[in-house]
Amino acid sequence: MSTPVLICDDSSFARKQVQRALPPGWDIDVTFAGNGEEGLTAIRAGKGDVVFLDLTMPVMDGFEVLEAIKKQDLPCLVIVISGDIQPEAMARVKKLGAVDFIKKPVDAQRLQQVLTDFGIYAG
Amino acid sequence: MRGDRMSAEHLDEEMRDVFQEIANVAMGRAADLLARLLNNYVVLPIPVVNLLERNELKMALSSLKSVDSVSAVCQGFVGSRISGEALLIFNDTSFQDIAELTEFKGDITPDIELELLMDIANILIGACLKGLTEQLDVSFSQGQPVLLGQHLHLQDLVNNQTGNWKRALTIEIPYRLESRNVDCDLLLLFTEDSLAVLESKVRFMLE
Repeated sequence: MSTPVLICDDSSFARKQVQRALPPGWDIDVTFAGNGEEGLTAIRAGKGDVVFLDLTMPVMDGFEVLEAIKKQDLPCLVIVISGDIQPEAMARVKKLGAVDFIKKPVDAQRLQQVLTDFGIYAG
Repeated sequence: MRGDRMSAEHLDEEMRDVFQEIANVAMGRAADLLARLLNNYVVLPIPVVNLLERNELKMALSSLKSVDSVSAVCQGFVGSRISGEALLIFNDTSFQDIAELTEFKGDITPDIELELLMDIANILIGACLKGLTEQLDVSFSQGQPVLLGQHLHLQDLVNNQTGNWKRALTIEIPYRLESRNVDCDLLLLFTEDSLAVLESKVRFMLE
């Protein structure tokens, strides 16, 4: 079965950048969300076993999404991809349960390394 | 002006989206430096991208609309057939907290405020422009930072704003600190003549 993958970012350009950085051989079913609220709805619908999450978004930001996932104990692995590279932002998302943090603009090698490190996709 | 996606009159949604995302990455790097300087978390906004007439400039400073008194620095940049200027505008109530956070002891005179303003302008403008040029694959030379004024009303500042432009692509980045009373707007202006080159650079990124 294909892995449900969610890409949640308010920028369509950024969503495309993430999609292009995914390993080509990975058997996935990709869903896109334009803000945290849409993202959370998709996760609840089972469309985000693996979530690539931006932080700075309208309506509901990435920190709030992580809080909701934690509070509601939703089954997903979240990798944050953000331009907010302050050490404090990284510490906060890890504390909120994100498995890792990738800085923007996203680098395909780094993303694939993270997937390997966490046993999500080894290629 | 060639191309219909971004002309002097119109900025289409795809272009706006890309500029916003590029600005998001650049402002994040600048914010990281500011956070380290002030030992405080900088709350990152969503950058606001517009195509504005000179007389609409105040609209690009929406986050400072209700502020009584501001101080501002501007710094021009040019290169790769792109030119523009960066404005950093502080709410004057920020300086007390900035002084405390940088462990400055003593009276906060206008000279001290100016020094703090220039220091932060150098950091934020430099890092933000570097972030933009790296992503767009262009290079800019920066002019000297120039004080636009201290303790001004926003309207007077807008009236004082020099530079030879009628219409510009503007990117507004309103920074604030999470636990302190510090807020400032970084405004990037790209002149009308730069739009065609910017568009071709963005189009290349979209491919």
